[in-house]
Amino acid sequence: MTTAKLMANRKAFYQLLARLYEKELSPKFIQQLAHLTYPTAEQNPQMQAGYQQLKAYFAQQPLAEMADDLASDYAKTFLGAGETKGNAAFPYESVYTSDEKLVLQAAWENVTKIYRANGLVMATEMADIKEDHIAMELKFMAHLCDVAEPDLAQQTTFLNEHLLNWTPQFLEDVQTYSRTNFYQGVALLTAGFLAEDAKILATLQRPTATTQSFKLTNAAFDQLLAKWQQRYHVYAPTFTTNRNAKQQPMVRFGAVTQLADIVYDRQSDFSAKEIYYPIMQTLFYFNENNVTESTLDDDKDFLIFMHPCDINALKRTDTIFMHNGAPDSYYQRLREKVKIVMMICTESYENCFCVSMQTNQTDHYNLALEFKTDHVVMAVKDPLFLSDFKHQPTTDFVPTFITKNKGQAHLPKIQNQAQAQLAGHLDYWQTFNDRCISCGGCNTVCPTCTCFDTTDIIYDETSLDGERRRVWSSCMLDSFTMTAGGNRVRKTPGDNMRFKTMHKVYDYKQRFSTENMCVGCGRCTQQCPKDISFLDTINGFHDAFNQAKNETVVK
Amino acid sequence: MENIMLPKPHKILAVLKETNAEYTFRVAYNQPIDYNQFFQLSIPKVGEAPISVSGKGQGYVDFTIRKIGRLTEGIFGLQKDDTLFMRGPYGNSFPVADFENKNLVVIAGGTGIAPVRPLLNHFVQHPEICQNVYFMAGFKNLDAVIYADELPKFASAFQTTYCLDTEAAPGFRQGFVTEYIQNVPFADFDDYNIAIVGPPIMMAAAAKACLQEGAAPEKIWVSFERRMSCAIGKCGHCKINDTYVCLDGPVFNYTKARNLFD
Repeated sequence: MTTAKLMANRKAFYQLLARLYEKELSPKFIQQLAHLTYPTAEQNPQMQAGYQQLKAYFAQQPLAEMADDLASDYAKTFLGAGETKGNAAFPYESVYTSDEKLVLQAAWENVTKIYRANGLVMATEMADIKEDHIAMELKFMAHLCDVAEPDLAQQTTFLNEHLLNWTPQFLEDVQTYSRTNFYQGVALLTAGFLAEDAKILATLQRPTATTQSFKLTNAAFDQLLAKWQQRYHVYAPTFTTNRNAKQQPMVRFGAVTQLADIVYDRQSDFSAKEIYYPIMQTLFYFNENNVTESTLDDDKDFLIFMHPCDINALKRTDTIFMHNGAPDSYYQRLREKVKIVMMICTESYENCFCVSMQTNQTDHYNLALEFKTDHVVMAVKDPLFLSDFKHQPTTDFVPTFITKNKGQAHLPKIQNQAQAQLAGHLDYWQTFNDRCISCGGCNTVCPTCTCFDTTDIIYDETSLDGERRRVWSSCMLDSFTMTAGGNRVRKTPGDNMRFKTMHKVYDYKQRFSTENMCVGCGRCTQQCPKDISFLDTINGFHDAFNQAKNETVVK
Repeated sequence: MENIMLPKPHKILAVLKETNAEYTFRVAYNQPIDYNQFFQLSIPKVGEAPISVSGKGQGYVDFTIRKIGRLTEGIFGLQKDDTLFMRGPYGNSFPVADFENKNLVVIAGGTGIAPVRPLLNHFVQHPEICQNVYFMAGFKNLDAVIYADELPKFASAFQTTYCLDTEAAPGFRQGFVTEYIQNVPFADFDDYNIAIVGPPIMMAAAAKACLQEGAAPEKIWVSFERRMSCAIGKCGHCKINDTYVCLDGPVFNYTKARNLFD
């Protein structure tokens, strides 16, 4: 079966299950179910037993009475109606995961955030259904099967953390409280299917042997780079004529044509972000009465040589631009051009703490390589590139990742709203007032900072012809929150430092229920003219928070 | 894919003077707008800013704008038949459906009246929706009173309290609007909602005064104002903790708003 077909089948089954739990069944739908041919040789014993229960129900019950019979069993089982009032299989994750057995608890908040991060709001005609209702969680799985490039890791995580974590007990309860063979069967079918689906996902994600690796001489690699110039803009970290804050030659992402151009033995000063999210970008041109959208110079794709930290950073910028509210077309039109050559790290650089941020590894790349002294080894994951390696000798290169940095980040464990308040109001933050000069350099070099301002340019003073541009902004600047009239909501460098740090290691994760935003690349530390280390800032935050937490408990 | 950052030209139908510093711009528009939503208004060469809807009607939308920043000064250079570029509407709205058959207390400070004006006019036209409407508005002084010609209309439809911070004048009490919240008979209400719109300090003081009078925090709704460059969750300027005012607000229940810190 093709992956597309498999996804379509899984989607259909999730949708069917969702419908069975969402509300009572209409007579027409029951009739359709009654006339289905049910599998007789289902491998999964629970699913097989489930099908038998359904068949038994349809065989025994007169068709005309089914709607009323099932509606009353639905109300009894899931809504706690009738004799069993208060005792039922309430179909909400919150009820099964909170100590108080209540709806609208942490699990509900979490799934709501996950839906929102995927650009979804709950759609149901049922007024009292919440986001963590089993029907909604099943619908979300159906949605994840239905996207153009299904993210199997995301499906696995959601299935494990939001369905398999509570439905086994719930489905047992359904069997306890339901009286019809029908809902007994539905419960068995659900339990069996979810278990089977977890297995299917595991199989699909098993590493395949399709990745082939090649050994290229340095000269052959240069020829390959020359060939790629025709199809791609090829970008990699390379020296510029400027110097960085530490007076070293500055390394930024720029066009490269030969191996000698590529700087791979130190962290670049700027990240790869400036390729797909440029420092300045024209949004549209205007005159007095009209606006015209800007266009791109050419339609060549980008081939970018990136370390794992920057590849992981892409996911963060994708989340903001593509999934926080409606997608941003200016970001998307460049982002969809990006093809990735992962440069594996053979050592951890001076300021890296990627291992703490779990960004030291990734499988999101088209090609991976390691530069050896007189040759280059490359793993080709994307078959699109295989033809480029036709006459090259193969090798057994498998990308590896560093597992240790010099520094480790200790993230504060903020567990509730009161602790978040505590974290945000630590005296610790104001210690930055004398250190940070609000230059915003840290934001500029950060691969995950996405904030921008817009600014208008006119071509000459006598007309209204011009363009609107967006330019990177910085939350460390004192003007970042300034509104007309000069008011600012954050007034000190310490306030700004608190805002930035919490965004990078707490707020973003809270909102999107995913990873932390910071990827631990250490560039902000390298850039800071006042030698403020972000790793030290995080660890200082951790210590100050723990101290404050203990003092609060003592009081 | 739709480009949601692209503003569209709209014709200015009229420019109405409210005070020396505040004008209402009536712009051609005929799509639905919720209560307390906002648009991104832009003037080529000056830029773009979020502005609340202060009125709506057949074929138009009103924006009451205070001459305070570069953009708003630019807008003041426009007149009838000129083009204004805009995109929107953005943001959520007050939970108007929840206001039905309950008392409603609206507390506005200064230009904060602008975003609640469509709501007030709606309840003037439909007095059957709410029980009693208590409308309290505070202005700095007599020169700062906006919608002066509409205040008597609100006074005849609602229980109103109008005040001036620094002056005494007929029809106005003297002092901050928050000082008069104690006159609202919260104890007699079986159910109610409170909508507070104004400068941050005024909103905080008003919410505190309501709580002191025994109001429940979940009955209070506040509307935030933040710097924004995009209004669609990307530019980062309006982010507070894990909340984006443009996407999750600008209206927040007080149980959420009180936990947000800048």
